[in-house]
Amino acid sequence: MGLLDRFKSKDKNRRAVLIGLDGAPYTLVRRFIEDGTMPRLAELVKRGTLLQMDTTIPDISSVAWTSFMTGANPGRHGIYGFLDLQPNSYKIYFPNSRHIQCTTLWEEAGRRGRRSIVINVPSTYPAQPMNGILVSGFVAIDLNKATYPPEFVPKLRELDYRIDVDARKVQESHDALMEDILKTLERRVETLLYLYDNEQWDLFIGVITSTDRLQHFFWDAIEDENHKYHSAFLDYYALVDDFLGRIGERLGDETLFIMSDHGFTGIEKQVYLNRWLADNGYLKLKENARSIEDIAEGSRAFALDPGRIYLNLKGRYPSGTVERAYRRALLDEIKQGLSEISANGTAIVKRVYERDEIFSGPRTDAAPDLCVQPIYGYDLKGAVNKQELMDRDLLTGMHTQDDATLFISAPRDDLRPDKPHITDVAPTILASMGLTAPEGMDGRSMFARE
Amino acid sequence: MAKGFTIWFTGMSGAGKTTLARLIEAELKNREHRVEVLDGDIIRTNLSKGLGFSKEDRDTNIRRIGFVCNLLTRNEVVAIAAAISPYREVRDEVRQMIGSFVEVYVKCPIEVLAERDVKGLYKRAFAGEIEHFTGIDDPYEEPLSPEAVVETDTETPEQSAAQILAKLEEMNLIAPALPDAYSDEDDEEIRRRLEALGYV
Repeated sequence: MGLLDRFKSKDKNRRAVLIGLDGAPYTLVRRFIEDGTMPRLAELVKRGTLLQMDTTIPDISSVAWTSFMTGANPGRHGIYGFLDLQPNSYKIYFPNSRHIQCTTLWEEAGRRGRRSIVINVPSTYPAQPMNGILVSGFVAIDLNKATYPPEFVPKLRELDYRIDVDARKVQESHDALMEDILKTLERRVETLLYLYDNEQWDLFIGVITSTDRLQHFFWDAIEDENHKYHSAFLDYYALVDDFLGRIGERLGDETLFIMSDHGFTGIEKQVYLNRWLADNGYLKLKENARSIEDIAEGSRAFALDPGRIYLNLKGRYPSGTVERAYRRALLDEIKQGLSEISANGTAIVKRVYERDEIFSGPRTDAAPDLCVQPIYGYDLKGAVNKQELMDRDLLTGMHTQDDATLFISAPRDDLRPDKPHITDVAPTILASMGLTAPEGMDGRSMFARE
Repeated sequence: MAKGFTIWFTGMSGAGKTTLARLIEAELKNREHRVEVLDGDIIRTNLSKGLGFSKEDRDTNIRRIGFVCNLLTRNEVVAIAAAISPYREVRDEVRQMIGSFVEVYVKCPIEVLAERDVKGLYKRAFAGEIEHFTGIDDPYEEPLSPEAVVETDTETPEQSAAQILAKLEEMNLIAPALPDAYSDEDDEEIRRRLEALGYV
């Protein structure tokens, strides 16, 4: 048996562990490793490689986690946001797990006889049958529909499992929200460790999502040492660190992955693209419009959260006004206009992507015509009921596309030298388990050095 | 652009191939696929006019239908063939040629078919008035690993069609119908949660 064969056969039954930290930015994780906030992660990182990673455009969790689990771009998996419009309609629907058009990582593992535990991955609701146990993450509502197999529900109740933080608590008070964030983390960690220790598995995926909630509402606490919640923010990450340490001490020859689905930064302003479209004559809305469902006749374009712009094309939408022949000219005009939006003398649009630059595959037809990428600090929103182009509300943190986190417990030299993309994670995990990626994954294994 | 593929219904006369082909055709058109049905009975009046029921003629008939299905498939059309196609070898030959191929075995016991006898053919075949009748004096070779088997003696056409559609979804050949996965109440709750994070 040659050396390579032996290596392969050793890989054949290897297990993999992935811990997701929703929205944990690479630069913040790096800083917490260096300043001693996350000592146990610092130890783990010595045994592997911590990388900055690009995520999807749009850089929101429903899109990013779906690209994680399928290794595919939205043009293949079909999820472009937390909400979308039904075909040939302005009616909103909320995409769910049944709308995902691609094979997931754990379905692929299941086909090869491997058992997976998948806890709290966003956009997996309702839970679909699979080989193992799956408990859906955001936007899961009902624990019964969120859990496969259903027989596992009583155990979750016994563990006092919580599906998610209730972000509406912030209306009550920041204290109430922080308490909920901490309680949810505690119950999640308890459940994850229970499953890790008591279930048979080949692939273990557990995602912490309260990181994202914390950062949406408390990001301003990090830089300001006098902020009321400064130490609470650090303490929260110390708890996450403790959890990572407890996973670390359980590791045998499993490959460990730690990742986030996007980065985070502070908000200067929220920017309402529909306000801009309306002010510039592209969009007409009915009075007291609550959502894009209240679009009025004569509109040429509209936006959905976060920076998705759709031309109101004839044939694509019921009251479409734009002829295909004018698509190109209108795209150019809107792109030009967007590039001129500024705040304090600085252009706030970093780049505008056209559909074909970033999406490919059978679901490209459902893609936005343009995706707007803002500079750090300017959070694009799809709201239609705003009178001002920019304002601030309770949110203090926003997502970033180029600063997600990926840790792999493998030496740097075993990995490709280029910056990873979130679609690379699934093929990399499969490779670590000795499995090849199925067709339809856009990403490439980080272990593939050629 | 939706993918092209071929659905190949095989099974004995009267088993329900045409009924299912039409049901699937309607549903796929609803889901905005371009669809063409190649029905054996109709093909024999034009494309294969003059061919008989010897093994050689039957194989020629199937190759012709397969040839057209292949042209359609590679132009993003869903081709649906409904023909007895009793011989395994030529079915597999057509499968090889087309690639994106979904074989559906429309299964029904001959006693039930003779009892149904929608076209009055079984009565005539049993009386010796028709030669080369599949299942009576001509063989029917069951598919060894079809993508789907529907049993039309125990299932309603709608049940069989649903099973086939589920298979097509599972094979990622068609997108699932947009399900109302959520009740209106759930929808409102999701909307409120997304609003709390500024997504709506």
